[in-house]
Amino acid sequence: MTNINGKAYAMNAVTPMKAWKTPILRVLFFLLGALKSKQQDLINLSFIHFARWVIVKRDQFPRLAPEQPEEHLRYDYLLFFSNFNGTWNQYIDAFSAVLATGLNLIWRWSEKFPGSVPVTAFKRYISLVQFDTDYYYTAYPYATTNDVKAAIRVDDALREFAGKSQGTTPEEFQQAYLQLLVKIQADLGEAGVAPMGT
Amino acid sequence: MANQNGNMYGLTILSPIIDDPKIKISHDAALRMYLQNMHRHERSPFAKVSGTHICRLVVMDDVVFVGHPAKEEHLASKYLVFNSNLYGGLDAYLEEMARKMPEVVDDIWSHCIGYPGTDPQAFAAYMKKCQIETTFYFADVNYKTVEQTLTALQTKVEFALFIERQQGKSPAELQRAFAAFWARVEKLPPPLAGLKELAKNQAAGV
Repeated sequence: MTNINGKAYAMNAVTPMKAWKTPILRVLFFLLGALKSKQQDLINLSFIHFARWVIVKRDQFPRLAPEQPEEHLRYDYLLFFSNFNGTWNQYIDAFSAVLATGLNLIWRWSEKFPGSVPVTAFKRYISLVQFDTDYYYTAYPYATTNDVKAAIRVDDALREFAGKSQGTTPEEFQQAYLQLLVKIQADLGEAGVAPMGT
Repeated sequence: MANQNGNMYGLTILSPIIDDPKIKISHDAALRMYLQNMHRHERSPFAKVSGTHICRLVVMDDVVFVGHPAKEEHLASKYLVFNSNLYGGLDAYLEEMARKMPEVVDDIWSHCIGYPGTDPQAFAAYMKKCQIETTFYFADVNYKTVEQTLTALQTKVEFALFIERQQGKSPAELQRAFAAFWARVEKLPPPLAGLKELAKNQAAGV
């Protein structure tokens, strides 16, 4: 299925918004971007490589030639694209459980959004507004976002150790090596296989 | 700028797809078939475009009717969505696409209105006409190139094997082994982008 590549899942969703609500959502996104503390729950979930929201105003769909028909739309549209690890159900469950307030703030401006809690209605809505990916590429399909972060921590720590341990006695080296292992032991696990299921 | 998060750029392109009622296979159908059969993993054309962490191509047929009392409406055109999470600058990335994967760029975007061909600057200008500003962009890791990320993933595997194999060694043996290990690992080229699995090097850990 082209929504999936290794451990990454590509989700696409489109929801209509009344045009007068768009500026409100833009202000909320601006605040979310400016106040990094408001992103902490998203960072702590640590299963999304990249995600984005894109507001397309009703007159903003690109029109590149006179023969291309003009769009005559009533609504602005909110596009959502996510690259996450785990199954679709795990993702929506986690969003509903952990990020309900944030999700409601973003999607309450979309028509007929039922709220992110209870999760059943939320999943039904997301299924309705989701559309499938036709081609999905990732440079590291075998790595979750946690695998990437762990690898970066190991790589950084190892490079620092390699530099600082030069010219030490064997006993000093061993001591520093053991301290290194203690520091990065939680990051050394294998990447493992992708989860099965939906 | 909302497109940017650290060194990562969230590129969102909507290219209108040609609608020609006279042809047997519509452009959107042909595009879908092409994308279905495009090479994946390390043979993906995007593996050659150095800034590409993760990208996707989606044929967007229409908007969604979410039910009464919302009003039903439809797009007049279908759009090819190209969504990339790239490291670095936009112009350089788009020009690299045209230079490194010209046949694929042609095969894909020739189905779209206004496509100018694979001249790098013309292609970049065309894509920027189709660009929609990302409103909010989240990037969990926003400061590493693709090569740095792949190198880190490889180094982690190498070092984990090294630790396993050096257990019980004397301090002097450990120090000599690490020097040899580091001299080898530092020179390793990064793994290929897009590989389905990171193969464990048989010599790893030595």
